[in-house]
Amino acid sequence: MQQSDVLRQSLIDTVREACFIMALSIIAALAVNLARTDFIPFIQDWSIEARLSQDNGDSLSIPLSEAKTLFKGNKAIFLDARGQELFNEGHIKGARNLPWHAVDDYFPEIIKDMDRETPVITYCDGESCNLSHDLALFLKNMGFTQVKVLVNGWTAWVENNLPIESDDK
Amino acid sequence: MNSFYRFFYHLTRLVLGAVFIYASLDKILNPGAFAQAVFNYQVLPGELVNLTALILPWVELILGACLLSNRWMTGAASLAAVLMTVFIGLILFNLARGLDISCGCFSTKPGEGPMDKLTLLRDILFLVLALCLAGLTYYKKTVYHKNKLYTV
Repeated sequence: MQQSDVLRQSLIDTVREACFIMALSIIAALAVNLARTDFIPFIQDWSIEARLSQDNGDSLSIPLSEAKTLFKGNKAIFLDARGQELFNEGHIKGARNLPWHAVDDYFPEIIKDMDRETPVITYCDGESCNLSHDLALFLKNMGFTQVKVLVNGWTAWVENNLPIESDDK
Repeated sequence: MNSFYRFFYHLTRLVLGAVFIYASLDKILNPGAFAQAVFNYQVLPGELVNLTALILPWVELILGACLLSNRWMTGAASLAAVLMTVFIGLILFNLARGLDISCGCFSTKPGEGPMDKLTLLRDILFLVLALCLAGLTYYKKTVYHKNKLYTV
């Protein structure tokens, strides 16, 4: 009986200490966020539309139909923001691989024959994949003026039986 | 505790404390970028992304400070073990899904590279340390309560 009391008391102490740490953390986090100039909202809209809307209200997103038209007219360069392995397994025909995780390594080579006015369409895979969005913002910062994101690009492209290719031997 | 356990206890709490504090700093300094990293895991509803991104680094910082200063040890060590379990679960989940995202463990910058099996191994090592520490601190706590019981 005494042994179980000891164990119970130790458990209560553990939970109490953990709760103290959590409470302190919550208070510190909220207070510091309110006090800082670069605070973030406590609750934010993370929908695709919200994430892809720019400061001027325009959306970075391009509909598949428009992307398809640009592709058929050979009027845009498609940039695959996924890693090299996934790119090699399959990608939009003619797309170039600019993996977001190694963007600094790939960037100079990939863009060396590209004009800053060239329409560029970035894509990755999955509704909430953010690599293409991050890459698009990076390209805009680097001076590219016509950058769009094809949301869920790889899946949408494949599902619509549009031309793809793979580099796997 | 004999001298080996005492040495192991102090070494483990200092290592884990330093790791948690180091892991928290970049996230506290860049809450927006860390919120993006949290969102990229695609496991939380949008309403909880920013709150998690704000609170989690402070949990890491304060529990790291507790571990370094040897205060609230059972709570801090248990929380560390819980956090490491959650992190490992998330990494396993995303590796299984083949999601190509940054870990966001120590840095909010994309240059940290995508998570891989090494990330998983590192976190398992930290989990083992945290579990050992939680076990030792819990043992110390029971000894303390036992002594108190017999001296009353």
